[in-house]
Amino acid sequence: MKAALKTIAVSAVAATALLGASSAMAEGERYVLVSHAPDSDSWWNTIKNGLALAGEQMDVTVEYRNPPTGDLADMARIIEQAAASGPNGIITTLADPDVLSGPIRAAVDAGIDVIIINSGTPEQARDLGALMYVGQPEYDAGFAAGQRAAGDGVSSFLCVNHYISSPSSTERCQGFADGLGVDLGNQMIDSGQDPSEIQNRVMAYLNANPDTDAVLTLGPTSADPTILALQQIGLAGDIYFGTFDLGGDIVQAIRDGVIQWGIDQQPFLQAYLPVIVLTNYHRFGVLPGNNINSGPGFVTADALDLVADLAGEYR
Amino acid sequence: MSSTGVVVDERIKETSKLRQALIRPELGAIVGTIAVFAFFIVFAGDSGMFNAQGVLNWSTVSAQFVIIAVGACMLMIAGEFDLSVGSMIGFAGMSIAIISVTLQWPVWIAILLTFALCIAVGALNGFIVVRTGLPSFIVTLAFLFILRGFTIFFPQLIERRTIIGGISEKAAGDWLAPVFGGKVGGSFFNWLAEMELIAVFERGTRAGEPIVNGIPMLIIWALGLMIIAHVVLTRTRFGNWIFAAGGDAQAARYVGVPVDRVKIQMFMFTAFCACVFATCQVMEFGSAGADRGLLKEFEAIIAVVIGGALLTGGYGSVIGAALGALIFGVVQQGLFFAGVESSLFRVFLGVILLFAVILNTYIRRIITGER
Amino acid sequence: MGSFDHNPIIEMRNIEKHFGPVIALNGVSFDVRPGECHCLLGDNGAGKSTFIKTMAGVHKPTKGEILFEGRQMSFDSPRDAMEAGIATVYQDLAMIPLMSVTRNFWMGREPVKRFGPLMFMDFKTANEVTMSEMRKMGINLRSPDQAVGTLSGGERQTVAIARAVHFGAKVLILDEPTSALGVRQTANVLSTIDKVRKTGIGIVFITHNVRHALAVGDRFTVLNRGKTLGTAQRGQITPEELQDLMAGGQEMVALEGSLGGTV
Repeated sequence: MKAALKTIAVSAVAATALLGASSAMAEGERYVLVSHAPDSDSWWNTIKNGLALAGEQMDVTVEYRNPPTGDLADMARIIEQAAASGPNGIITTLADPDVLSGPIRAAVDAGIDVIIINSGTPEQARDLGALMYVGQPEYDAGFAAGQRAAGDGVSSFLCVNHYISSPSSTERCQGFADGLGVDLGNQMIDSGQDPSEIQNRVMAYLNANPDTDAVLTLGPTSADPTILALQQIGLAGDIYFGTFDLGGDIVQAIRDGVIQWGIDQQPFLQAYLPVIVLTNYHRFGVLPGNNINSGPGFVTADALDLVADLAGEYR
Repeated sequence: MSSTGVVVDERIKETSKLRQALIRPELGAIVGTIAVFAFFIVFAGDSGMFNAQGVLNWSTVSAQFVIIAVGACMLMIAGEFDLSVGSMIGFAGMSIAIISVTLQWPVWIAILLTFALCIAVGALNGFIVVRTGLPSFIVTLAFLFILRGFTIFFPQLIERRTIIGGISEKAAGDWLAPVFGGKVGGSFFNWLAEMELIAVFERGTRAGEPIVNGIPMLIIWALGLMIIAHVVLTRTRFGNWIFAAGGDAQAARYVGVPVDRVKIQMFMFTAFCACVFATCQVMEFGSAGADRGLLKEFEAIIAVVIGGALLTGGYGSVIGAALGALIFGVVQQGLFFAGVESSLFRVFLGVILLFAVILNTYIRRIITGER
Repeated sequence: MGSFDHNPIIEMRNIEKHFGPVIALNGVSFDVRPGECHCLLGDNGAGKSTFIKTMAGVHKPTKGEILFEGRQMSFDSPRDAMEAGIATVYQDLAMIPLMSVTRNFWMGREPVKRFGPLMFMDFKTANEVTMSEMRKMGINLRSPDQAVGTLSGGERQTVAIARAVHFGAKVLILDEPTSALGVRQTANVLSTIDKVRKTGIGIVFITHNVRHALAVGDRFTVLNRGKTLGTAQRGQITPEELQDLMAGGQEMVALEGSLGGTV
């Protein structure tokens, strides 16, 4: 009897929410995803694809926006702009809370539902009044990777940072260093974004520091040229090599044994899930009770086939 | 032969009013502005682009462009370029952050010191250009790298980060900070909200307040700089020297115009504008990042060229440059509202730049009578 | 020709100018009196440009002295020479084509109205003076806002001359003002020179065209290889003699014979 009452009550609440939601929002909701990535960062293609797929499946309009040069102040303007266009929800990264919290909070206060993805932390998302956080906490991921590498006998490393102006990139390197239990010091280099520059800097560093045990790259932008650099100086497969994020060349390198593991934060989920969550929230008033960790997952040579097939597209 | 009388060449046709209107440098930009607004009113009229929030959004972005375009315009008319503007923006922001947050000095001192530093770098740019006679392209390209390098290096060295935050807390109660980061006209917008002319926040700590609660100082700076620069350029002796320095430095020197001083001062003014941009940005967002201002030098130059200035110097208009910046800002933000894929913005930018340059060349031919 | 009653406005004595090992001027003497047109002739490379740049304050002479109105002077910059009353109109650097006639006319000496610390350019006065000065020289402008680029070459020279006259030039140096002009525009410029001379200004007219020189010149000085070959009064020299002097000698006479007339 008590259970029955409870069921009735819950259904009533759900029904009210449903009614409320459907009376306020018609079908064909519109969601805008704002990232901090410059145009040159190919990794975000997976995000775009995940976003498009979710939009298609849920029958909602989705848009992807980013600052072309990766300038976070420009990104703040894009969020303000997205809010002004009155979408049902905004999905955004939180690359720098100082810059972005103002516009995000204003959007939240203007009645737009916000989900934070990719960068930032669950705490920051809660502070801003966002519905939830979907992503991989960067420091923790770096730390986990560092511990894994320490277990494999690594004690010094090179962190190839191709996006030095983003604090989260530095946190990955810092986390890795702390996981290893060594001081980061000069082991992180600012590689820039140009492939041949990255390649040459990695070679130069490794020539100058022949004792380096391991290389850590932060994504395809730095990993692909680093693979070439290692091949050129004959260290490919010899030096311990881990990377954040996946891409076509990275998967091949894992298969070839050049890269030991890739940390997959599964960006697909970061774009796909928020759209699903928001749409269901707006249509049926249902919302998962917690943040969603899309990663980290270590991808190694085992079970690589599916990843290989879809790398750069959905993986 | 001593009494030739009035020399009238019967082969010179009377120029029509239309042709005369065409040789105003602003003309292209005025037409462009009208066209751009017409386009977006038709295609994005009901998308939120023209509600209070939308208007504020594109006017803020345009105002940013205006601030650096005004500096770039004056410098370009004086015959030089500054490619270090974007890096200067990053550098100035970082300088404010390091002085106020790391060194814990008052924000107003940080701002004033940064202005002094930036203007000094501008003067150095100018000094090297006039002393060596090297193209300003190369000299300022060097500073593009030098300043960006420092902007990444110093915060990493000092704070082991490339973004320094916490300036907002430091700036609270400072007397100079609101001049850059404040807003004006709050009560007017409250009134608008009461009259239900603009939307209010629905929830949160600011529920009931108008969504737009004032005009950012950024916009006031943009308007102020534009008006001052326009008056100086068109109405003062110094303005004539700027035209002369860029039109033909040697001819100007022969009649006693202090060309080198004028050019150096224009470099300093450009640096000042970049610093205003950076200070407004830092005060608004409360943090400085190493990536701030990337590619802004080109955006400034593009706005100036759309505004009718000649790349070769000696001709141009501040109003034109400001309209060029407005076109730039409105298009950049408007394409979003019109639902156009944002990567197409660059296509549009390239096309509009090409048109502007072709139009400018045509105008110059009319003026100089070249064929 | 009353001009010889006066003392020279400017007198250059034994001017030498060396550029490193190159001796550009090797003892040139030259003077200009009020109201005369003193032509300085010479072939390309004779040292005309170096000489007038020395007179205009661009170069400092290595040796020799400059007397201005009887007093010894040393010009540190073109500005100094200009302040003293020596105005130079260079062949192609006279005007800025993209700027209006008024802006060009007043360039460097803009009339100002003060509002506190601000010095605004007084466009009303500037435009009026420009129009009237140009009218005096026989050119009716469509508008003072007209860009100099729309003027013909002769008109541009005239604007530059009018500018120099208006600003109180005592000596006006004209550097090859006719060399790039057609027949009719040359006539206009020569008539302008005549008008200016009558106001009592001394003119230094640099040319390598003997006929242009003879049309307006009172005295003729020929430079060759950095030296003065001599000065002649109007009527004391024939075009052929002048031509020979300029070409520096006998080959020219032979060449002339074979070409059958004045080159």
